[in-house]
Amino acid sequence: MIRLTVNGRTFDVEARPHECLSDMLRRELGLHGVRVSCSEGECGSCTVIMDGEPVTSCLVLAMQAEGRDVLTIEGLGNEDNLHPIQEAFIEEQGFQCAFCTPGFIMAAKAFLEENSDPTAEEAAIAMSGNICRCGAYPYIVKSVLNAAQKLGKGRPGDEGRSG
Amino acid sequence: MTTAAEHRSAFRIAGKGIPVKDAREKVTGSLKYAVDMEVQGMVHGKILRSPHAHARIVDIDTSRAEALPGVLGVVTHNDSPQNVWENAWFNYRGRVLDGIARFHGDDVAAVAALREDIAEEALELIDVAWEELPAVFDPEEAMQPDAPLIREEGNVRDPYVVEWGDVATGEEDADFVVDCEIRFASQQMAPLGRNACIAEWSGDRLTLWTSSQTPSELRDGLHEAFGIPLSRIRVIALPSGSSFGNWWSANFMLITAVLARKVRRPVKIELSNEECMATVKRRHIEISRGRMGCRNDGTLTLAQFDHIIDNGGYGFKDDVGFFCVDNWGRAEHGHYAIHGVNTNLLTAGCMRAVGDVTLGSCVERVADMCAIRLGMDPVEFRLKNQIKAGERLRMQHSRQYMKGSLEAYLEGIPEETRKEWPRLFHLSSGSTDEILRKGAEAFGWSGKWKGWGQPYAVDGPRRRAVGVGTGAHVCGVEFEGNVSAVVRINPDGSAKVHCAVGRQGQGSETTQAQVAAEELGIPFDKVEIETGDTDSCPWSHGSLASNTMYRVGWATRAAARDAKRQLLEIAAREFFDSPPDELDVIDGVIVSTDPGKRNIRITVEEALNHFRGADALGQASSITGRPAGPMPPASTFARHFAAHFADVEVDTETGEIRLLDFLATQDSGTIMNPQVMKNQMIGGAICGAGFAIYEALSFDDEGRIRNANLLDYKLLRAADFPLRDEVIYGESYDPVGPFGARSAGEAPAAAAGPAIAQAVYNAVGTWVDMPMTPENVVAALDAAD
Repeated sequence: MIRLTVNGRTFDVEARPHECLSDMLRRELGLHGVRVSCSEGECGSCTVIMDGEPVTSCLVLAMQAEGRDVLTIEGLGNEDNLHPIQEAFIEEQGFQCAFCTPGFIMAAKAFLEENSDPTAEEAAIAMSGNICRCGAYPYIVKSVLNAAQKLGKGRPGDEGRSG
Repeated sequence: MTTAAEHRSAFRIAGKGIPVKDAREKVTGSLKYAVDMEVQGMVHGKILRSPHAHARIVDIDTSRAEALPGVLGVVTHNDSPQNVWENAWFNYRGRVLDGIARFHGDDVAAVAALREDIAEEALELIDVAWEELPAVFDPEEAMQPDAPLIREEGNVRDPYVVEWGDVATGEEDADFVVDCEIRFASQQMAPLGRNACIAEWSGDRLTLWTSSQTPSELRDGLHEAFGIPLSRIRVIALPSGSSFGNWWSANFMLITAVLARKVRRPVKIELSNEECMATVKRRHIEISRGRMGCRNDGTLTLAQFDHIIDNGGYGFKDDVGFFCVDNWGRAEHGHYAIHGVNTNLLTAGCMRAVGDVTLGSCVERVADMCAIRLGMDPVEFRLKNQIKAGERLRMQHSRQYMKGSLEAYLEGIPEETRKEWPRLFHLSSGSTDEILRKGAEAFGWSGKWKGWGQPYAVDGPRRRAVGVGTGAHVCGVEFEGNVSAVVRINPDGSAKVHCAVGRQGQGSETTQAQVAAEELGIPFDKVEIETGDTDSCPWSHGSLASNTMYRVGWATRAAARDAKRQLLEIAAREFFDSPPDELDVIDGVIVSTDPGKRNIRITVEEALNHFRGADALGQASSITGRPAGPMPPASTFARHFAAHFADVEVDTETGEIRLLDFLATQDSGTIMNPQVMKNQMIGGAICGAGFAIYEALSFDDEGRIRNANLLDYKLLRAADFPLRDEVIYGESYDPVGPFGARSAGEAPAAAAGPAIAQAVYNAVGTWVDMPMTPENVVAALDAAD
């Protein structure tokens, strides 16, 4: 049994030996927004934020999350209360099948905290740790730029900022 | 005559860039794919896979596996139904399990257990005695008479031939003839997102949940394999991750059903990423040899191509859809022959723009070689030699499926139905013409095109140049059945569309709802849609062969029209006392065109609740609409077209290709939803670009796939493709497609490769075969020296 914080709440969960964090989050907590595709850290679909850092949760052992603070797409916003990055992805249609989308959005969140006003090229490079097989890349990059604007406008004392 | 613009200016919902219906589920991660599904009491299955490319089971002993605690049952070929089942368009033909392995990783047996890890452990306890059989991996070797026999039907399908005119005359009339041969590697759909299947039997009735873009065809396959009536099979197709043709019907789905029947529990089989890439499907390995004859004025006199496709173990195709034939159909004489052949490699099937990505690339290259001889601009050469609306189509698939002559076929169709058909075997609308002109202008083609083999900039080893490529594909086919749809208007004035197209991310749930809402005249938000449940959706081909917008869209519109007709008949009789054709529905309100009745405004809800009344027996009505008749055969007249412009940099030392700029243009008639369309066009371009510069499955000497994972199988990422997000649309308006629309998703995958290949030629002065990886570029440059 390990204790960890997920999306702001504390859980005691059973973590099987050798089980990775992504599988545990899906199985124990029913967080199916944590998508698993390649299981080798290549595609980024399972990206979550652990103690403020983006990680591919298929490469993290569940045991390693003991005492950590994990944020998944479910903790970012929900259908009644979208996060600005989620709104931006809808406005720019930064997805098709959307299997990869939660991973891209979590990667975008971590990136925008590092770089709140990126250029398109910076955003494209930052999003290159994830794979979108449908090929929505130009619209994913636009989504990230749009989200940067939304977040910038929402920042205290930053109202006058222009695009 | 009403112009396209006039038609389109009247639309309220068609043509609008509405966010897709499931956008909120998609960005919050709440959308459920098959891997996310669970059923009460379900257990888990795993499949034992062949360690040989070609082998027969002499003996199989499952007793040790059965004895493992937690195991509920094992199935082998001895438990499998022995009926042959077929996937759509001959993508699979075979028994579920038959005791023979035809490729490395082929399905051998399956275990059901309480947990997945127990099932996996049990696989190792199944003892199989194999008799290895000789295997063949090269398609041309597999065609030899003494080649190992892979299938009981023989390895080689009858050639599929399309011909017109006379090859000898085409050659005589030419001032010169050029030829080439290209051997294409196999591209993998490399689906992001795995798939799973849950099967549950209740008595002799089967329910199956899986991610599929072809729910109806999957039900047909289960019916064939198990020999039970269609009425006892319910497929609930869930959204899939990127599919590109991977998630139609797959044998693992049928194995799940066999296993569930044996253990009498719901069983879930979830494929690993490696299984998704190494055991389901891939694009064919294709060998294209062709030549074209041309006059000195740039007129093509001859197009002659011979094309081999490898079907792997279970594909059964004699042809690939190859609509490059039509796009270049102005050639005066033509002969195309396709040869389907089995090999002991993973089954090959229809991947996005099948045939047009491969044979299309060869045709475009040979055409470019003609233009090179003439020193003619490739845009101009395409404008001169590519088909225009109204001209004769060369691909006449449909004729092979008609009984008797075309005249006899037409006579069998009621005059009333036939009168709205376009001219069969002639292109109904659109072409590359307008998009090539508009695209060249927007791309700045004339400024960057410096002549064949001429870069526009050279910086040390880095050379920059531009290229243009075109692609065409069909707008659905009718050979396997007539698509249908149902539209229900509910008593509250909302409506639901039922059409079995699946959801693979292409936005059909949204564009089909737009078609219905536009036709019904009710707000878009009141239209919902079911795309996967075969118990409520009538038969449809699903999302394949670019069928969705054109054929399913036609059916959805026809169903909505029928529902609206019934609604207006009620309103006319009960409220307006006038003929129904004087009425219309606008934004959910029934109104009359009769000036004297302008003040009568009845909502759809009021009309349907009219009979509820004071009488206790009264009840609200609902209306069910369906197409009144069959759709005209789309493959005889409709195509969609893409023209792409690429700006590349080639490093002649490292062989690396960078895409600097890319413009996608497309003629698909009315664009039902520009938001959806842009993604189809750019996504298609990226799929085609992957084929052109990155992607190839690598097979070892035993036919095993070396790179069935996303680490070794390279895909483009965000920084690898230009960020230009605007696209250009043609303005054509189709006479049959819903609100003038045609199809969209495949031509762009076909156009990108030729554009990039030509740009690379212009940069370095020699052709490089796809995939144009750095090593292939360097090898081609060395060979040219």
